[in-house]
Amino acid sequence: MHSNPTTVFGAILLVMLAIVALTAPWLAPSGSSLYPLTVDLSIANCPPGTNGHPLGTDHLGRDLLGQAVWGARASLAVGILAAGIAVTIGTLWGSLGALVGGVVDTVMMRIVDGMLSIPPLILLLALQSIVSTPALAEVLPSPLLGILRVTNWSYGLLPLVVVIFVVSATNWLEAARLSHAQVLSIKQQEFVAAAQAIGLATTGMLRRHILPNAAGVIIVEATLLVSDAVLMEAGLGYLGLGLGPGIPSWGGMLASAQMSLIQGNWWAAAVPGMMITATVLAVNLIGESSLTPARSRHRGYAAAS
Amino acid sequence: MFELIVRRCVSAVPLVFLVSVFAFILIKAVPGDPVDVLLGTSEKDLPPVQVAALRHEIGLDQPLPKQYWSWLSGWWGAGELGRSYRDGRPVLEVIGERCPATIALVGSALVVASVLGICLGLLMAATSSGIGVVSRTLVVFSIFLYSTPGFWLAFLVIFAVGRWLPWIPVIGLHSPGQPVTLGGALAHLILPALLLATRRAAKIALFLRALVMDEMTRDYVLVARSKGLSDTVVLVKHVLKNSLMPVVALLGLSLPALLGGSVLIETVFGWPGMGRLAVEATFGRNYPLLLSLVVVYGVMVVAANLLADILYRLVDPRLRDSVDDPMLTGTRAVSRAV
Repeated sequence: MHSNPTTVFGAILLVMLAIVALTAPWLAPSGSSLYPLTVDLSIANCPPGTNGHPLGTDHLGRDLLGQAVWGARASLAVGILAAGIAVTIGTLWGSLGALVGGVVDTVMMRIVDGMLSIPPLILLLALQSIVSTPALAEVLPSPLLGILRVTNWSYGLLPLVVVIFVVSATNWLEAARLSHAQVLSIKQQEFVAAAQAIGLATTGMLRRHILPNAAGVIIVEATLLVSDAVLMEAGLGYLGLGLGPGIPSWGGMLASAQMSLIQGNWWAAAVPGMMITATVLAVNLIGESSLTPARSRHRGYAAAS
Repeated sequence: MFELIVRRCVSAVPLVFLVSVFAFILIKAVPGDPVDVLLGTSEKDLPPVQVAALRHEIGLDQPLPKQYWSWLSGWWGAGELGRSYRDGRPVLEVIGERCPATIALVGSALVVASVLGICLGLLMAATSSGIGVVSRTLVVFSIFLYSTPGFWLAFLVIFAVGRWLPWIPVIGLHSPGQPVTLGGALAHLILPALLLATRRAAKIALFLRALVMDEMTRDYVLVARSKGLSDTVVLVKHVLKNSLMPVVALLGLSLPALLGGSVLIETVFGWPGMGRLAVEATFGRNYPLLLSLVVVYGVMVVAANLLADILYRLVDPRLRDSVDDPMLTGTRAVSRAV
């Protein structure tokens, strides 16, 4: 890994966003004027710079800075957890297929190809309509619902689980295809043949030799998937199918920004979009090395062999 | 060549089949019973004989493969399962009404994205010699544009246009109170197509720049330079030809992202296409419609990839008779670009 200034800048930006997300309860505690769930119509549509509301308020008088800060928590949680789950499942699926080979591999990868030909947002909608929060609340055992703080009048954190599930169920495909190609190319190298010759079992081979060699590419993929997941949460949230009003998120802010815009309040739309753009930009700058020829060659021709 | 095209078409069939089976599995996983939804009440309130009769009529007591077939044939009105819950019409009829608007939007966005992307990419490549301040700025701009969600940009554009340029039409397919005309629809298409295209254009530009810079290191460029050709001639006459080919593949692979993005853009602009239909179906829990939309979208993507594949072979004579999938060779790099 070489350190180039844009990569470093991206990493710093992402770390800063993560710190904001982690410290949200201290930056905008409940009871302060910044707390995002406080609705006060008397201070609706305050412009940025208003006393006590540095970034202004939306059409319900909720503070935008507080929403952005708490939104970072939900949006980055979706981004990081969904990307992590997607990469784990995808890598296992892809590399197992590549290792086993034969008909099993063909079927496994055809499934991935088939699902990849469904546009991501359409797949999200289809999954979201089936794994909806109310449906899940009936199915899950009550201790789990207790952990997620589901009560009679609130779904608690359950929408978060639904969105993370739906987003990772859409995102794992790309990771599966990439790791499949990567493992196929590693498999052809001599040290793998040598390991086979000394009688290493498949799982040992995967753990000791193949995954460590594929790690670089998979980590870059995981980073890029974080930005995909953040964008998906934003899209779902905007459509009104995201985390809902109980959990402030950037996607949810975009949904309510439409109402604010009608009232001439453009900053309520600008703030969440800038947060999303900053996150995606940070991730893309870190992954920029993957957009340059050397890396795309690496990604590309590894897939070819 | 012909044989090859036929073979590729045949290999697309299992993909479409897989997508439809996947959608069928989802339809079976839908919470609640279709009978409840059709009746609008819970089946507990009805005598069991009636429920059984209804189940038999819809075909829910049949074995799964038969239900799958009945679902498919319901699309054009031959069965009960594939009908839209909302008005009982065959889903293909409903989708057919919305399909042209989406194809127009995505098609024009693809054209806008490729024209803008190729121009921007060439500009970046052409200015990259020397100090490269211009090129660097353009690269940063492109990465920035690629990171900006198009539908959010659309919010701000609609707001700005409404305030300062109110004569530019923004919402829907036609102005209120006026009939749908071709000219009017085209005027309404400009902004949605442009905003759907922004991220894609940036991606194409960055990709093309990377390809050109990669291509510039090849020996034939050195030869051309040593012959005394100017940088512009080398770029336009030699490098561009070779670099544009993977871009063709990228265009084909752009379709899933563009179709996905069109769901949001259609919602923002009130564009009456399939994307909005899908959102409406999600909210109305109209599962037959939503899941047949999944298949229709899948067919569109598979068809587009097939077309790009064939086009790619036509453009690049080296691949004309090769059996390999060109998407799997040199251009696999673009797979991530989707």
